[in-house]
Amino acid sequence: MNEITVLFFATMRDHTGERKILLDVPENTPVSGLKTLLAERYPHATGALDATLVSINRDYAFDEDIIPAGAEVAMFPHVSGG
Amino acid sequence: MPEFPTIFSITEDELNLDELLAQITLTSTGAACFFTGMVRGATQRDGLPPETEYLEYEAYTPMAEAKMGQVADEIRQRWPTVEGIAIVQRIGRLYPQTPTVLIACTAAHRDTGVFEAARYGIDRLKEIVPVWKKEIGPDGGTWIEGGYTPQPGE
Repeated sequence: MNEITVLFFATMRDHTGERKILLDVPENTPVSGLKTLLAERYPHATGALDATLVSINRDYAFDEDIIPAGAEVAMFPHVSGG
Repeated sequence: MPEFPTIFSITEDELNLDELLAQITLTSTGAACFFTGMVRGATQRDGLPPETEYLEYEAYTPMAEAKMGQVADEIRQRWPTVEGIAIVQRIGRLYPQTPTVLIACTAAHRDTGVFEAARYGIDRLKEIVPVWKKEIGPDGGTWIEGGYTPQPGE
């Protein structure tokens, strides 16, 4: 298993009720696999998890990307700065 | 060639436009283009209350600053004549008429792309820099979401 950090921002924080969690995931888990694990943990956030943007180590990441050991993953809605 | 100044930051402090201009002005600079956005207190739109009491901004600061640096790099690739670049986003609770964001570009002359570069900078910030705002009005709070989905490599 690999330990990773998952951060939630804005609506994703509201949906999960968490800012930051530590999670053990199997080696070679892709982003899509992490979303599945999180949907089991936060069943009411399933729809939000389908639509979330994801970053790995502060770069945008996509469903097929593999999450490395020790990664900082973040989940958040479409950005709205300015 | 001198090292051109590039400033990018997320801050909770008031934006000091004069100080930021000074930081991106070189002896060779003859033009600066500033874009600054502010909280709009009254908005004409259908179906929503027109009054905004304040906006609550939050950022994923380390990634936001990295993406601001990427926006600055993209500006330099497109407009090599740009000298200084400042990209600053203020976060926290911000009330109407308060500047929230600044994109400024300097160059030797006004006709070498500074207007377009500043415009590009604010457009890209709104696409890829992870900052969010929640609008608080008389009827509570609503998260505002953008419409751009970053692609691989962004």
